[in-house]
Amino acid sequence: MIVGVALARPAPVVVAVRDGALLRSATARAVTGTARAVCVAADLDTVPLAPVAAIRVGGPCPPALGPAAGLGGGAAESTEAVGQGDVAEAAVRPPAAVIVRGGHSLTGRPLAPLDLDAVRRFAAGCGLRDFAVTATGSPVLADHELAVAAAVAAEVPGARITLSYEFGRPGLRERERSAIRNAALGPGAGRLADRLAHDFPGAPLYFARSDGGLVSAHYFRRYPAACDGGHAVSLAAGRTALAGAPGEAEVSDDVVAAYGATLGRPQARVERIVQARGRAELDRALADVGDEALTRAVSAGAAPGSARITETTVNPLSYLPDGLYRVRVTAEGGPP
Amino acid sequence: MSRLIGPAELDLLAAGARLLATGASESSSALVRDWAASVIGAGVELVAAGELDPGTWCAAVTLVGSTTALSEQLPRGDEPARAVRALEGRLGRRAGAVVALNLAAENALMPLVAAAALDVPVVDGDGTGRVFPLVEQSTYTLGGVSAVPLAIAGASGELAVLETAPDRVEELLRPVVLAMGGWGVAACYPMEAGELARVLVPGTVSRLLEAGEKGAPREVAAPFGVRTLCRGRILAVEGSSGHGGELAMPSLPSSIVVQELEGLRRLVRLEAHNEIVLALADGAVVARAPDQICMIACGDGLVVDVDKAEPGLEVEVMTVTAAPVWHTEAGLALGGLRAFGIRL
Repeated sequence: MIVGVALARPAPVVVAVRDGALLRSATARAVTGTARAVCVAADLDTVPLAPVAAIRVGGPCPPALGPAAGLGGGAAESTEAVGQGDVAEAAVRPPAAVIVRGGHSLTGRPLAPLDLDAVRRFAAGCGLRDFAVTATGSPVLADHELAVAAAVAAEVPGARITLSYEFGRPGLRERERSAIRNAALGPGAGRLADRLAHDFPGAPLYFARSDGGLVSAHYFRRYPAACDGGHAVSLAAGRTALAGAPGEAEVSDDVVAAYGATLGRPQARVERIVQARGRAELDRALADVGDEALTRAVSAGAAPGSARITETTVNPLSYLPDGLYRVRVTAEGGPP
Repeated sequence: MSRLIGPAELDLLAAGARLLATGASESSSALVRDWAASVIGAGVELVAAGELDPGTWCAAVTLVGSTTALSEQLPRGDEPARAVRALEGRLGRRAGAVVALNLAAENALMPLVAAAALDVPVVDGDGTGRVFPLVEQSTYTLGGVSAVPLAIAGASGELAVLETAPDRVEELLRPVVLAMGGWGVAACYPMEAGELARVLVPGTVSRLLEAGEKGAPREVAAPFGVRTLCRGRILAVEGSSGHGGELAMPSLPSSIVVQELEGLRRLVRLEAHNEIVLALADGAVVARAPDQICMIACGDGLVVDVDKAEPGLEVEVMTVTAAPVWHTEAGLALGGLRAFGIRL
């Protein structure tokens, strides 16, 4: 039996599912000890947001394009623009944000040496523990994000650090927003996972992704932003599965969403920009991205033997040198 | 009569400029819109070319290169002004107005950023009436105006001024853009307003402002008419993920097969090179460059880019008629099928 849970007010809605069929509504206590897995559908819009320190690696930019606004809670306190005059001064921003020199072009060329001193000064002085790091060009080369993470971790013990390249989206600003949102959700998502693990002891816990599929609690704690709209997606999946079933109309949205969450499989998606000259190099690059997707699917809760690649998309990028491709690979495991 | 492009008009123009634009990414369109919104203040003046003193010196301003690169490596903010200033320096004249090269997504807004920085008006019109992939494919060229000297500014402070034979602009420009990280802002086609009035496609900015209104029919964005070729489902996309092709254009050639969903249920084959340049229905030519052929997703009404086309997608295939000058002999040579490597 698999248990579906929809986070709802005043209390979570719990359903029991066997072989894909909705059995009944249940309670946490009633399913304890009998569930093979617990799948949670949650929209994270009510999760409290932690204040985030945003570090962008790149060149100066107009203030309107500075580190993203309106996320992470708390009033804007300080924005330093280390070594770049007052470029980021007027930017709308998370509680603390900085732009430091560094990053790569899409062709992988370093734009400037990474200014790690600026990173250390900012990390030590910002007074925050949740960091979002976004480097120019990280979908091609994540070196600078990784170096920043190492510097921050050394400077701030216990720092929680989100790297934007993990989100893989095209566009620095979009990736940065995802990273900041993820960092802001981190502590609240951790508490949510703690509470659910306490309420449903003994069974592995999964969360519904915003783009279909499930992730393990372990994965959810690190990448909660992947599950931002898990309730809405599960509701849609549940509705589709129940369409035409007897009694369909009487079932509440939360029951449908809880049911929908149980239909997913552990899934992970990796998106990168790769440079490859010729077929052999492209095949090798695809194999690398595929391995990463499989590893992440396992980290998302897939049984190692069950993980397989379900979709690979390769698009050449126009107006750039030959051999630059956007690659997206989805991997998924067997049902939980 | 001049009017002001303020924050409200900017949103309309941004929306209108995406209606028929191929190759525009959400990310870079939003970026240039936010950038423009932060610099235009109360507004930038929009004037007809004929309203300017005929001796007013003008330059076309355009994004060159990859929108993916733009949305990854953000602008410093001074690129458009730096490019125009460099052109001024080269020619010893002062720009009194700027104009768009084309009005596809970002390119409709880039002149506004330049105009705001230089405190000059933007001319109502553009140099294509549609979009072509190469800088020299413009009605300015057809009217005898040279794209060069051309100044291009990059995000890391780079600046280059190019002079060459008019038909070698792209060849010289491409490696410069790549060295700049994949994108730059160019100021080109220096000319006086009297000449501009003769060679531009007039009134196209106003049209997009109108087309950007909620509920406005898409046709408003197409000054010379638009027709639907078919509604259908994409059956196959060939070659879009292929590698190692001979590149004459900044993208790989590909071919899209669409099965008509109604009527004759024809098989429509779309040949693409950067954009769709030829449409065959059951083997017969039904549309070709220089007219613009685009796929509109039936779901969200947005243009489907050639490299995002996927089997299963339902699309409306539309043809946007190009300005009359593109159908002259010179126009066909510059923007017709042969320019895209298809000898038909």
